[in-house]
Amino acid sequence: MNHHPAAWGQPLTAHQQFDMYSTNPMGMSAPRSAHSHGPVQNTQWPLVTGTSVIGIKYEGGVMLAADNLASYGSLARFRDIERLHALGTHTILGVAGDMSDFQYLKKELDGLLREEETLTLTDAHPPLSPNNLYTFLANLFYARRNKINPLWNACLVGGWDFKKDESFLGYVDLLGTTYTAPTLATGFGAHIAQPLLREAYEAKAGVDLEGRPGADGRLLTAEEAEAVIDDCMKVLYYRDARSINKYQVARVTKDGVSISESKSSETEWMYAEGLRGYGGQTQ
Amino acid sequence: MDTLVAQLAPSRRGDEGSSSTAEWANNGYGNLDASGAVAGMDVPGVPDPLAFLSMHTDSMSTNPQAKIKLAHGTTTLAFRFKGGIIVAVDSRATAGSYIASGTVKKVIEINPYLLGTMAGGAADCQYWETYLGMQCRLHELRNKERISVAAASKILSNLVYQYKGMGLSMGTMICGWDKTGPALFYVDSDGQRLKGDLFSVGSGSTFAYGVLDQGYKWDLSDEEAQELGRRSIVAAGHRDAYSGNTVNLFHVRENGWEFIKNYDLSELWYEYEEKKKADLAAASAAAAGGVPIDVE
Amino acid sequence: MALFAASAQQEAVAAPIQHRFDPYEDNGGTILSIAGADFSVIAGDTRQSQGYNIQTRYARKVWQLTDKVVLATNGFAADGANFVKKVKQRLEWYENAHQKQMSIKSIARMIQTMLYAKRFFPYYVYNILGGIEEDGTGAVYSFDPVGSYEREACRAAGAAQSLIQPFLDNQIYFRNQTFPADQPKPIPGNLPLGTVLGLVIDSFTSATERHIEVGDGLEMYVVMAKGRAVDDLTSKGALPEGVVVEELGPLGEGGGERTFLVRRTLKRD
Repeated sequence: MNHHPAAWGQPLTAHQQFDMYSTNPMGMSAPRSAHSHGPVQNTQWPLVTGTSVIGIKYEGGVMLAADNLASYGSLARFRDIERLHALGTHTILGVAGDMSDFQYLKKELDGLLREEETLTLTDAHPPLSPNNLYTFLANLFYARRNKINPLWNACLVGGWDFKKDESFLGYVDLLGTTYTAPTLATGFGAHIAQPLLREAYEAKAGVDLEGRPGADGRLLTAEEAEAVIDDCMKVLYYRDARSINKYQVARVTKDGVSISESKSSETEWMYAEGLRGYGGQTQ
Repeated sequence: MDTLVAQLAPSRRGDEGSSSTAEWANNGYGNLDASGAVAGMDVPGVPDPLAFLSMHTDSMSTNPQAKIKLAHGTTTLAFRFKGGIIVAVDSRATAGSYIASGTVKKVIEINPYLLGTMAGGAADCQYWETYLGMQCRLHELRNKERISVAAASKILSNLVYQYKGMGLSMGTMICGWDKTGPALFYVDSDGQRLKGDLFSVGSGSTFAYGVLDQGYKWDLSDEEAQELGRRSIVAAGHRDAYSGNTVNLFHVRENGWEFIKNYDLSELWYEYEEKKKADLAAASAAAAGGVPIDVE
Repeated sequence: MALFAASAQQEAVAAPIQHRFDPYEDNGGTILSIAGADFSVIAGDTRQSQGYNIQTRYARKVWQLTDKVVLATNGFAADGANFVKKVKQRLEWYENAHQKQMSIKSIARMIQTMLYAKRFFPYYVYNILGGIEEDGTGAVYSFDPVGSYEREACRAAGAAQSLIQPFLDNQIYFRNQTFPADQPKPIPGNLPLGTVLGLVIDSFTSATERHIEVGDGLEMYVVMAKGRAVDDLTSKGALPEGVVVEELGPLGEGGGERTFLVRRTLKRD
C-alpha cells in the first residue's frame, strides 16, 4: 500500500500491484518479458530471506538480535539458521535479506579475516577494527549496486572500537547506503522496533547534537538493554508475519563477542479468542 | 600454507574492482584520456542503458516522477546579418515545473571568436562546448590559424553523433567569425548540423521565430538587429512558461564577440507595453487632428 | 524543452514495469549556501531518512575539503558519500603533485568532469560548493546531478529547496522588494555575517516546521577570508542562544583563511 496522502483512494500502479503480500517466489513465475531478456541477467530479487535485525548500544558494549528463520516467500522454510555472525574477536554482523547472499558475505569476510590473521603471524599487523569491516562491507555493497548486481541484504555491524574506547553500531544495505546511530533496525524492525529502542535509549541517555548521550546522560546497562531487545523481538514476533519466536542475542564488549543460545519470548494470544470480523470468524 | 590461504581467501581482487570503463570515472580524468581524446564513459551494466537512463532521469519533462531532475535550457536564437551575428538567449532553467535557476548563462564562450548556445540538457551543452573549446585551441596550435566555424561545429556534431541513442540532449548554435565572414551553424544531439542565417532553439523558439521572421532582413543596422534579438526573446519569455527571467545579448563582429548586456525580461516587457500605448495614443492623436483620445 | 523529446525515450518509458532493482533512493534533507563579500556559509541539516523512516538523526552532508573550500551534498546518501570520497582523493593527489591546495574555481570544474563522467549512470547528488575565491571574495557554486554548474550568491538544494530558495531570492537577491528612489537596490552577496547566519537558521527552522524530511540538527560551516576579523562570529553574544561555534584547524599549511563549524539543534518531530 502506498501511504502517501496524495495516493489515498488512487488505484495501485502496476509496480505496487506486483506481489503486494510478498509471496514471491511462491505461486508466481519470475517476471518475464521481451525487455528482460538482455545479455546480462543478474539476480534481481531475493529468494530465501531473513527478516529484521535490531541493535542497541549500551554501557560498555553493543547488542544485536535476529531470529532464526529463513523464509521462502511466505513459507517458513528454514527454522534454525543463524543470522548473527562473529567477524574476528570484536565485531558482530547481523544480516537480513537474501540468505544465499549472506552466505557469500560470510565466505568473503571469513576469507579476508583469515588472510589478515596470517599477516599478524609474521608482522606487527593491526587487526581489522569494526569500522574497517564496516567500510569494507559498504564498499562491497556499493560496488555491487554500481554493477546493477546487488547483494540483497541489509546488515547491522556492531563492535568495540578500541581507538575511541566506545562501542560501534552501523547499518549498510544493498544500495550501499550507510549510517550509524545508537539504536538501529533493518526492514520491518525499522517500523516496529526502532521507536521502542529509541524511546528506551533516550529516556536514560538524553541526546546531544549527534544523538550521543547528553552531558549527564548514561547508557542503559546490559540487563536493561537486553530487556528492551527481548521486548522488541516479542513485538516483532506478534506483528511480523515473516518472523518466528526463536532468536539469538549477540553482545560485543571490550572482552569480545558472545552470541547467546536461541531463546523464545513468552507470548499471549488469548486476546485473539474474542476478536471478530477478521478472516473466517465473521461473527 | 600459502596454497591454503589462496584457496580460502576472498575472491575480491578483480572481482569487485571497477570495470575498465568505470576506471575512467574513478581515475577522474572525466572522460578524457591522457592525450585529450574522448575515452569511454561509465555506462550502467544493463541490457538497455537508454531505458535505464530515461527511467531514472527527467531531462525532457517526459518522465516527471523520476528522481533525478536535470536542469534544462529553453529559448535561444541567433541570426546572421550584415553587421555580424546577434545571439540572444533567456536565462531560465527548469526541473519539472520548478524554476531551478533564473540566472543561467546560456551563451557559452568557447573562445574570443566563438560562441555556443545552450538548449536541452544544461550539462551536456556546458560540458561538450567546453570540450570543443579545448579542441579549437589544439587546432590553433597545430595549424597556426584559427579554426573555421564550419570545422568547429563539425567537431561537435561528430562528437555527439558517437553518443547517438544514449540519451544526450542538446540543441546548440555555434556562432563565430572566420575567413568566410560571419558563420552560424545549428548542431543537435541527433547529430544534425545545419548552416543557416537564422535559427531559434528551445520550447520558446516558435514565439521567438514569430517576432524574428517579421523583423528580419540582411541589411539591419546594429541597433535594429540587437533590438530584434532582444524583442524576440521577450516575446518568447512572455508566452512560454519554460522561458523567462533575463535576456543575455551578444554581438559577434569581425574582431570577436561582444557581450552587450543582461536585461530583466519582465522590465523589458513593461517598457514595450508602455511604448505600444504611447505609439497608439500618438497615432490616434494624429488621426483625430491633435486631440488625444483615451484608448482604454 | 519539448523540442528534442526523442521518440526512443518514450518507447523505453512505455516498457512493462516489472519488479526490478532500483539503484537509487532519496534520503531527504536540505543544504544551503550563501556567499558574503569576504566569507561563505555552507549549511546542511543532519537528518537522513528513507520514506517516512528517519534512518539516523546525525548523518553528515557538509564536508571540509580544503582550507578555503567546503562541499555540501544532497540526494542519495550512498552516492553522496562515495562521491565526496573520490573528490577528496583527487584533491589529495593534486596536493601531492603541486604542493598546494586546489582553488575553489578548479575544484568546481573538477566536480563538473567527475559528475559528467557518470552522465549515463548519474550520481543522484546535488552539490553546492562554498568557500573563498583566489581574489578573497566569498563564492558559491551549485551543480546539477550531471555537472552543469554556475557561480551564484546563494543556493538551496534538496528536499526543501522549493521552500527556502524563494525566501533567499527575496532576502539575498532582494527580489520583489522596492527601494526608495534615493536608495539604490543593494548588490547581492554583501550582507554581513550576522545577517546571513540569521537567514540560514531561519531557513532551516522554517523548513523543519513544514517539511518532514528536514530536522534534527543543523551544521553551518563558515569560511573566512584571509585577514578578516572573526569577532562577529566568536565574540560573546554574537550568536543566538543554543548555537555552538568551534574552529576547525587548517587541513594544509594554512593560508590565513579560517573555517568554523557552527552548530545548533533542530526540532526532532
